[in-house]
Amino acid sequence: MIITNTLCNYMSIELHNVKPIYMSDAEISASDIYLQKSVLFEHNKNYLIKANSGSGKTSILNFIYGCNTNFIGVINYDGVSNHNLFDFRKSKLSYVFQDFKLFPDLTVFENIQLKNTLTNYKTVEEICSLLDEVLLGDKKDSLVGKLSLGQKQRVAILRALCQPFKFLLLDEPFSHLDKENRQIISNIINREVKKQNAGLILTSLDEIALFSFDKILNL
Amino acid sequence: MLQKLQKRTLNVSQIIGYALTFFVGITIILSISQFYLDIKPLLSKHTDMFKSKSAVINKNISIFKTIDKEKIYFTDIEINELKEQSFTKDISVFNSATFKINAYTNKTESIPVFYTDLFFESVPDKYLDVETDEWNWKASLDFIPIIIPDNYLKLYNFGFAESQGLPVLSKNTISQIEFNIKISGNNKSKEYKSKIVGFSNKVNSILVPDDFLSWANKEFGRTDKTKTSRVLIEFNNPSDDAILEYFNKNNYSINKDELELSKLLFFFKLALIFVLFIAVVIILLSVSFIVLSFNYIIQRNKELLINLYNIGYNHNRISTFYQLSISLITVVSIIASIIVSNFIRSRYLVEIARFLEFKEIHNYIHLFGFSLLLLLLIVYNALIARNVKKIVVQ
Repeated sequence: MIITNTLCNYMSIELHNVKPIYMSDAEISASDIYLQKSVLFEHNKNYLIKANSGSGKTSILNFIYGCNTNFIGVINYDGVSNHNLFDFRKSKLSYVFQDFKLFPDLTVFENIQLKNTLTNYKTVEEICSLLDEVLLGDKKDSLVGKLSLGQKQRVAILRALCQPFKFLLLDEPFSHLDKENRQIISNIINREVKKQNAGLILTSLDEIALFSFDKILNL
Repeated sequence: MLQKLQKRTLNVSQIIGYALTFFVGITIILSISQFYLDIKPLLSKHTDMFKSKSAVINKNISIFKTIDKEKIYFTDIEINELKEQSFTKDISVFNSATFKINAYTNKTESIPVFYTDLFFESVPDKYLDVETDEWNWKASLDFIPIIIPDNYLKLYNFGFAESQGLPVLSKNTISQIEFNIKISGNNKSKEYKSKIVGFSNKVNSILVPDDFLSWANKEFGRTDKTKTSRVLIEFNNPSDDAILEYFNKNNYSINKDELELSKLLFFFKLALIFVLFIAVVIILLSVSFIVLSFNYIIQRNKELLINLYNIGYNHNRISTFYQLSISLITVVSIIASIIVSNFIRSRYLVEIARFLEFKEIHNYIHLFGFSLLLLLLIVYNALIARNVKKIVVQ
């Protein structure tokens, strides 16, 4: 019974010979991911995708999330390539976008609730408590359009945690955060990932010591 | 929250513009359509506007024709030529009696004695503008119904009766008077009872049923073949310039007043169609405008809609707000149009009833309005769902 449950909860994402349409073979010659015969991501492991700017870090996460299909190759989700990704990501994939994709005309709380009302994953109290934890409790009713980039980044991360997931995709999540906030946010992420028995796929320019990565891939 | 977010994307002035123009277009189309249906029986009853658009023609009588009477008759070639004209829809000839006819009364207290020579003509029943049950003839019955021109009665009442000191007669009274008809020819004669059963505004002649005259011409007529001096012609379009041109060229005389009335009513109908056309254009423009306006809103807020999709809102849920908005505005506009159209109808019905005997027909405003509403809601909802899906699902 325990074995069956474990198998049911297992999730993997496997990339086969994936390459962005808009990049030439020469541009991606030394990649651990692009054009590789098989790149496996397992749900309970943490992965760091490291690369310089303009190497396609955002693209690879967008390909996995399904919001960009401009690639050649195949991506299998639990061994299947033709998943209805919209439904699949409701419970399996959560994504912290590099450009946040927040709604500036809504308040901090409304932005988070916009997602949470779809999933009912967290209670209002839990959301407020998380906002306090990331030092945004007093900004709960402020319009997101009036926040700094660092504040927006924290809101985007909290919003991504308001759903069940097996993989949390994070696209340069700490690019606008100071050391203190990085520590706070990484604690929350580690806690949530552990709670959900999920994996991390994080992109960054450099290595990040705040997480213990099972694998570091150079893009 | 979703509603709050999407509400900001709407352009209120464009929506008000649509609501107003759509309301005007629908009100015109509903009112005019119902007006047309309301007055249609009235017009077809009183005139030939919707049916025949017809007129009576004959040859002009000149001094030469008084000498050679044969020239007033239409030849078969001339009738065939008339039939082939582009403006002619149908043609029918007047049948004339070729025997001698006398009308007289017996001496009674109520009716003065009279004795007069008479003539009869007949036209096919479909050209008659008189509705009466008595308009039939049976060989077994010695009774002939007669229709006289409305003008004859006026001529009698306001001319003859006045100068002779005779009583004036109403249509009803004259229809009660029974008199005798004696027809003779071919060395035989026969007497009939007769009554005036109707008054025609359209045919200026003393009419008897067509089948009676055909029979009587065979029995009492001077010739085997009747000659045609007057022709009833039905036009495709009475305002066709070719009609008067052709008649002038051939020296045919036409009752122009009759044609003028037909023309007037034809233009009236044309005006209704024109207004209807304008209303259809207004509606098409307003519908296109709002569809384009919503497309523009969807395009302009493409990023916002894609973001919503990316955080988990499916395209149906994203479309719902726009579908509800456009549906609500359309419903409100059409309901307002139905109310106003009903008000306009109630006003013109009162006006018509003041002048004419009028039987109200069924009100189709609600049926038209709600059918149109249903159609538009289906179109709008399908278009918005399709456009949103096209934008967000890549």
